[in-house]
Amino acid sequence: MKNHKISPFGLGACLILLFASSVQAQGSNENEELVVVPPPMGFETSSAHYAYLLDQAGGGTQHTVATVPQWPGLWDRAGNTISKTFLDDFVGSSTQEGGRVRTGILTPPYEQAFQERRQEMSEEGQQKYDRLTHCESPGYPRFLLEPYTREFINLPHQSWQLNDLMNENRRIYIDQEHINVYGTHSWLGDSVGFWDGDRLITHTVDILPVDYFRGLPLTSNQFESVEVWEMKIFEDGSQRLEVQVTFYDEHSLIEPIHAVYAYKPATVLMEIGSRIRQWECETSSNSYLTADGGTNFLLPGEPGYKDARGVTLFPHLPGQSRDPVYETGLEN
Amino acid sequence: MGKILVRFLVTAGVGFCLLQLSQAHHSFIAVDPNIERLMTGTVTQWSFNNPHSWLYLDVENEDGTTTLWSFEGSAPISLLSKRITGDTFQPGDRITFMYCPLKDGRPGGHLGWAQLGDGSFINPSDGGCAGDEETIARWKGWLEQGFISKAEAEAAGAAL
Repeated sequence: MKNHKISPFGLGACLILLFASSVQAQGSNENEELVVVPPPMGFETSSAHYAYLLDQAGGGTQHTVATVPQWPGLWDRAGNTISKTFLDDFVGSSTQEGGRVRTGILTPPYEQAFQERRQEMSEEGQQKYDRLTHCESPGYPRFLLEPYTREFINLPHQSWQLNDLMNENRRIYIDQEHINVYGTHSWLGDSVGFWDGDRLITHTVDILPVDYFRGLPLTSNQFESVEVWEMKIFEDGSQRLEVQVTFYDEHSLIEPIHAVYAYKPATVLMEIGSRIRQWECETSSNSYLTADGGTNFLLPGEPGYKDARGVTLFPHLPGQSRDPVYETGLEN
Repeated sequence: MGKILVRFLVTAGVGFCLLQLSQAHHSFIAVDPNIERLMTGTVTQWSFNNPHSWLYLDVENEDGTTTLWSFEGSAPISLLSKRITGDTFQPGDRITFMYCPLKDGRPGGHLGWAQLGDGSFINPSDGGCAGDEETIARWKGWLEQGFISKAEAEAAGAAL
């Protein structure tokens, strides 16, 4: 075996993995507490981690259209453990003040930046500005935690993970190598993967610097991940899609960190026939960065206000309203 | 015993964090969530659009004029999860609702709860203003006593 080492904690982690799997199988329903399952040993790099898992899986399961696992329908978030990775004595949402920054997780410059972010939240009650306000992409790893509706489309050669928020479409290229012909990184990075039975293992690299979420730390342009996606079926028949993640980042993390994110069927949305629509921010968002670094909103009649139900750039032509049902444009 | 040990080892310090609050793509720093006021107006536009819904209403002033007020609600997909749709408010509807105002005093804020024409209450709020069942229950009591703001209810010693 190449590119990996067995840490002193490796054997213990293996035992934990075995026990943890057993615990999860005993869960009675989808509200069962999420349990982090660390990798079986420590790795220097995400590439070594991924290569190890690929080797353990004998090169991966070669699925066909008939056998590749399907995770159909619409999905919503069902919890995660990432906030408590960075905060002690913390309850609730990372967007709220509270908790103490856990030391020894982030490198000094990133820990200082996180301390400053949490200090601002302590003073102001919340983070004053979120980069998504100006329609910036959430990116990865924020993609894993962002709200709203997801679809998971598994094919033998690709898996697509779609989130309606900002139309984020993540493609995982199965049994392929990383490729980057753009000369830079991207919001969601480049993802490859393989199937190990019903589990999807992914490796993501070449990601632009983003953050874990509003109120959480920043990531660097060397952030990488290894994920293990698996559908959990509980005793009552309910489902929960879980992804065990290990994040690597030589600039922001002292050691790789582990977390679990989960998703549950969006039953109400499916009941009412909701479908993911094209998402855009340019013609409809009136929130903006204020001179003092805060957030405010433009109202109708104010310079720069955007009427989401107004008309296009060609108002003199018939049929240019973006509200064809009610015709309620405010600035027509 | 094994189950307890495993949970201690694996989940020590690691919690189950459901981020149901504050799903917006922006901060709510411009709004004062501690001020809750009642308002009634006539719907001009229900902008059931991403990234956030906005409810625009004409509200009558004491001098007989009207002012267009603007209130932000949650994202459409979050509202759909509560069975609130793009047709829930229609132009011309007379709506009573609770809101949290913009700190700078302009005619706007964030939606808390809203009462529909059939008398039912709905929660179109996001993280900027409370509109949950607990808040609605509290306000139902205040409405019966004729209060039109949280401050007024508190000043009267009404139960919170």
